Amino acid sequence: MTAAVEFQTVSRHFGPVRAVDEVNLSVAEGTFFAMLGPSGSGKTTCLRLISGFEKPTHGAIRIFGQDVSNTPPNRRNVNTVFQDYALFPHLNVRENVGYGLMVKGVGRATRNAKADEMLALVKLDGFGERKPGQLSGGQRQRVALARALVNEPRVLLLDEPLGALDLKLREAMQDELKALQKRLGITFVFVTHDQGEALSMADRLAVFNHGKIAQIGTPEEIYSRPRTHFVADFVGSSNVLPPDLVQRLGAPPTWASLRPEALRLTAAQGAVLSGAIIGLRYLGAGTRVTVAVAGAEIGVLVPSGAQLPEAGAEVGIAFDLADLHPMEEA
Amino acid sequence: MRSENRAPKSLTLAAIGGLLFLHLPIALIFLYAFTTEERTYQFPPPGLTLKWFAVAWNRADIWPPLYLSLRVAAVATLMALVLGTLCAAAMARARFFGRDQLSLLIILPIALPGVITGMSLRSAFSLMDIPFSTLTIILGHATFCIVIVYNNAVARFRRLSGSITEASADLGANSFQTFRYILLPNLGSALLAGAMLAFALSFDEVIVTTFTAGQQSTLPIWMLQELVRPRQRPVTNVVAIVVFATTFIPILIAYYLTRGGSETAGGGK
Repeated sequence: MTAAVEFQTVSRHFGPVRAVDEVNLSVAEGTFFAMLGPSGSGKTTCLRLISGFEKPTHGAIRIFGQDVSNTPPNRRNVNTVFQDYALFPHLNVRENVGYGLMVKGVGRATRNAKADEMLALVKLDGFGERKPGQLSGGQRQRVALARALVNEPRVLLLDEPLGALDLKLREAMQDELKALQKRLGITFVFVTHDQGEALSMADRLAVFNHGKIAQIGTPEEIYSRPRTHFVADFVGSSNVLPPDLVQRLGAPPTWASLRPEALRLTAAQGAVLSGAIIGLRYLGAGTRVTVAVAGAEIGVLVPSGAQLPEAGAEVGIAFDLADLHPMEEA
Repeated sequence: MRSENRAPKSLTLAAIGGLLFLHLPIALIFLYAFTTEERTYQFPPPGLTLKWFAVAWNRADIWPPLYLSLRVAAVATLMALVLGTLCAAAMARARFFGRDQLSLLIILPIALPGVITGMSLRSAFSLMDIPFSTLTIILGHATFCIVIVYNNAVARFRRLSGSITEASADLGANSFQTFRYILLPNLGSALLAGAMLAFALSFDEVIVTTFTAGQQSTLPIWMLQELVRPRQRPVTNVVAIVVFATTFIPILIAYYLTRGGSETAGGGK
């Protein structure tokens, strides 16, 4: 099967800055694909390479097998939900949604019917006459979504679409976007710097760092088996153990990751790892206990309800060796 | 509340004095358009009459300068609209080395003394063997008209969310459609305001015109010549009222067009 989006050693340089550096990427049709990374990691540039607002310095980009490296944005069958929504302020909601059809020469009646259909899809029936300025942030977001979907793109690009919403609304929209993607069956490529959002929504995700993909895989793979120090750090604060410590635990001497929730606190005597507690942080669902072990700091997630030791107390840490995942590089 | 925020009496008086000093001469110009005495500006006027309006209407030497002024202002404004908007679009979108310096160069003609602009244009036209004519006046006026349009357009571009043009392209619109359906509606009032200001500025321009005109005279130049010889002086005042109306009304409209503005552009952001 041809990939919906494919990058073949794609680079985009801005002067001396390598915003995207020899990225290889393949997004299968119908998946919800997330591009995760801190700001400046190249994820948004990758999105703009797909939409056509950036041209690759090197490499080829294919959308459904067709090389689009020289195709302008208005001739690509992809549409974008912009970070600031970019609604047209002088048009009402129906005209905003119908815009894509209008520029293609679709008649007014068909256009309005289709726009209303899209507005119903995003649960904004009856808002057609309003101007963007009269809508709340969440409603504008839905209009931007409806407007991008009206052209029936085969790939929908979303640039941090939930960034401007408050937490409650963001969670509701996460569920809704996911459901919408399932229902429409089209490919979503989603850019975010929020690891929780990427993990909960994506079928597959790519973690970006310094213009390169640090790791690509399912959310579970990325969360439980981070391949690099950066991924371990960025996706849910894993413990990273240096090779000498790993060797003492009886594993081959490589860097390794250990999830905080895979660890248990025990008595200090007889434990493989032990040390003094140097910090306790209450997180609601549990408490993160930081233990100083042989020069390293190891975080242990103690679920709520369990008994908590005092700061400064000597404790041991127990875990299954199977939870210790070797990493490829530091 | 009322008394605490009031300025001291002396300051109020000074302000009133300043305003009178500025505006009383204008009122006098209006007043002398109605005087019955035609050689000197004696005060108070011996009597009031409306006959000078009729006299002005029938003076054949007023109409050619009026037409010329209108034509120059219209064409210079039109040129400025096209070039100024293009400049603003390029400057708003592009980020390149020397951008700020270039922006200064575009704005410079308005800061430059008219004498300098006039002199440099005059020598440039001579060098290129362009005969002084209506065309040279128009080109001279266009130099500062462009700045007015550019300034208005660039301010509006800045207020527009940059991604709306991208959104338009993303939805399948070509550049022309994006300009027609997205940019023009959002820039419209700013461009109209810029055009009105440019028109007003061109209509009463004297200095650059003096340097770039050939034999023909625009309305302000005609007035200048007229003041020298004291014949039917109030006619000049009647023309002054016409000039005042033709420049003041567009400026007023331009002010109202660009005043609020929050509802016209960027409101969706």
